[in-house]
Amino acid sequence: MAILSLDRTAKQLVLTLQDYSIFAWRSMMNLFRPPVYWSDFLMQSDIIGVGSISIVLLSGFFTGAVLALQSSATLSAFGATNITGRFVALTMIRELGAVLTGIMVSGRNASSMASELGSMVVTEQIDAMRALGVDPLRKLVTPRIYATITMLFFLTIVANAFGILGGAAVTVFLNHQNGTQYFSMAWEGLRFPDVAQGLVKPLFFGYIIASIGCFYGMNTTGGTQGVGKSTISAVVTSSVLIIVADFLITHVMLSFWPS
Amino acid sequence: MSLSLLPELEPLKDTLPVVDMRHVTISFDGPPVLNDVSFRVAPGETRILLGPAGVGKSVLLKLINGLLNPEKGSVLLFGDEISLMNEQELLPLRARTGMVFQEGALFDSLTVRDNVGYQLIEEGKLSGEKIDAMVKESLRFVGLEQTFSLFPSSLSGGMRRRVAIARALINQPELLLYDSPTGGLDPVTSTNIISLIVKQRDVRRTPSLLVTHRLQDAFMMCTHRFDEEKDEMVPLPKGVTHSKTTFMMLNEGRLIFDGSLHDLVHCENPFVKEFLE
Repeated sequence: MAILSLDRTAKQLVLTLQDYSIFAWRSMMNLFRPPVYWSDFLMQSDIIGVGSISIVLLSGFFTGAVLALQSSATLSAFGATNITGRFVALTMIRELGAVLTGIMVSGRNASSMASELGSMVVTEQIDAMRALGVDPLRKLVTPRIYATITMLFFLTIVANAFGILGGAAVTVFLNHQNGTQYFSMAWEGLRFPDVAQGLVKPLFFGYIIASIGCFYGMNTTGGTQGVGKSTISAVVTSSVLIIVADFLITHVMLSFWPS
Repeated sequence: MSLSLLPELEPLKDTLPVVDMRHVTISFDGPPVLNDVSFRVAPGETRILLGPAGVGKSVLLKLINGLLNPEKGSVLLFGDEISLMNEQELLPLRARTGMVFQEGALFDSLTVRDNVGYQLIEEGKLSGEKIDAMVKESLRFVGLEQTFSLFPSSLSGGMRRRVAIARALINQPELLLYDSPTGGLDPVTSTNIISLIVKQRDVRRTPSLLVTHRLQDAFMMCTHRFDEEKDEMVPLPKGVTHSKTTFMMLNEGRLIFDGSLHDLVHCENPFVKEFLE
């Protein structure tokens, strides 16, 4: 009985992976064949990018601030508080800016995509769209994927900038250190591979957030309860995948540009 | 006695069935929902699919325009085998059909204007003014011109179905699929909806397939015609039925009846008899 159940679960997993791969591939390739829904892309960019700016800005600022607080306490033991700026900037740009922004945007937008598309599925609006001769993948999914990739890239830059500012605020106002030194160390500590790592990651994270959110939404079954389940699954899966992808990307990029 | 209204109109040129379903079987993680189902819809014909709730009527309708794919058998739409087509190949064929969903399936974030004109807007071939004019004409057909700028959430259930009919009709489809268009509506609203369907059948002569479990709607369609002069549905003379409106009945995944109203009421199948009683 247990083996049968295991067998079914494994088959289901493989099938879901197969469906997801086809779904994600088709959604990406739709950009290269007309019609391309640019107005939907702009609308989604506004919803995802502008709509997420406040949470990204706040989370970035306070993450930088807490990094400065924590690091200065440790660094002061070695008499190295002057490198707080370098520590905050490197941590934000290489790791936390992209990952935290990804997780924040995932919580806000993967859930919204899954619930919106899921509701459309259970009320037959997706079928109606198909019956009216419009491909829902092209109309609903492709614009969301490209809008998320584009906007997450810029949101990560905003989060990084505000993280460094948060660190500066703590360094200057709480730790009473020199602000110029903080920024100078932050600037001098950065190398091209650090910036490249920080800017490549959001491209992958954006793709994960939108494709997972839309995939769960478009495969919703079981009425309104199913919409709830899809929403939860979308947020959990995309958040976990962001962290897994972060590890893999870091590993690959470090092999190209060792620290 | 049956009545044919067709001789008064232009003779039909095309005799190829609009829909030809051949030995179709489909299941969803269990026993077959439809099992070896075959039937045809001829040009100008209206077919009424009867059956209890949950018997697979909506599934059958979705198979016709490729929203679902059969496990076995084939579906020919306008002469083209669609069960092997991919989504891109299906889109132009679907654009030639109009479908009215069970609950209307209107896009709740769009106005009635954008819902009804959706297909035209997406095609991008017509100007905004032309689309507005066509949307108004379609809404006038269903008697809802005043809802042009409203959102679906502010409409009643009956109004939503009528808007859904207007959306299905706007592009003058070559086939209409109605999925329980009167389900859950009061008798007066149901009669209004049936009147619109009869109007479409008799005025534009569009072939259609109507799914319902309401016998009174099915019988009304067979025993009434649309009078264009009076602009209302009127009963046919006693004992006369519409010859191009025929019936099918589904039970336990199989098509257990296919014939005229006369055949239906005289059918000896115990399930058909029980259903009619």
